[in-house]
Amino acid sequence: MLLHYLSGIGILVSGAVHLALVFFFGSYQENISFDNSVFSVIAVYRNFAFALTLELLLIFVAFHAFNGLRVILIELYQGKKWEMSVNWILTAIAAFLVIYGTRTVLLARLI
Amino acid sequence: MNRNWLRAWLWPRKGNLGRWAYTMQRVSGVGVSFYFLAHIIETGNVVGGLSMWSIPAYDVAKNSWNNTVDFLRNPLFDFGLVVIGFLLTFHTSNGLRLFFSEFGYGIGKPARPDYPYRPRSQNMLQDLIIWLSAILAAGAAVYALNILFG
Repeated sequence: MLLHYLSGIGILVSGAVHLALVFFFGSYQENISFDNSVFSVIAVYRNFAFALTLELLLIFVAFHAFNGLRVILIELYQGKKWEMSVNWILTAIAAFLVIYGTRTVLLARLI
Repeated sequence: MNRNWLRAWLWPRKGNLGRWAYTMQRVSGVGVSFYFLAHIIETGNVVGGLSMWSIPAYDVAKNSWNNTVDFLRNPLFDFGLVVIGFLLTFHTSNGLRLFFSEFGYGIGKPARPDYPYRPRSQNMLQDLIIWLSAILAAGAAVYALNILFG
């Protein structure tokens, strides 16, 4: 569970950067547009430090969310087969999300 | 499996504030997890979504993202974001309380149990932070309402 707490702190820091870029610098509508302002979608991806922050946030949240769901499901019912199924299925979904999200970050930097 | 597991989990009868925080921490965590899932799929459309497996042309990517934003811009999804803002803020603030508790801060020192056997770990500070989390979460919801509907 130590990793759950540490990834939580990781989300606190990288998530704060992510939310600040969307809400606190310039207007929200401009920031979610493709290329209308300094902190619009494509500008954030093209900045290396911001893209790295998004990638770290992706990994932290994928771990934290799916470990949390795992804890809930394992507390619900106990058994070797159940536990193995929960572990493998949730790991597979989390891995897909990390791969798909990383693809977004990499491709968006190349557009 | 207990047949009433969902009710036992979600509705703490005779529960104290800490037990309610436990339920809320799990409900908000599951809620934000589903938002995370949707958000990764949604932002995948910045580069053209699942059907695109090479570097997209600038205009194709821009068109794909603009269509996504237009599709999601309606009162139902906007209200969903307000709820996510509430849940995320509560989960963050209450999660910080749990972080400090995990490492032994703010839960008192171990001592001999005496009448009336009140648990030292469930003290005023803990209750205060739980209420503060609820207030911060409500504040975040108002902030989100102002941005999305104001």
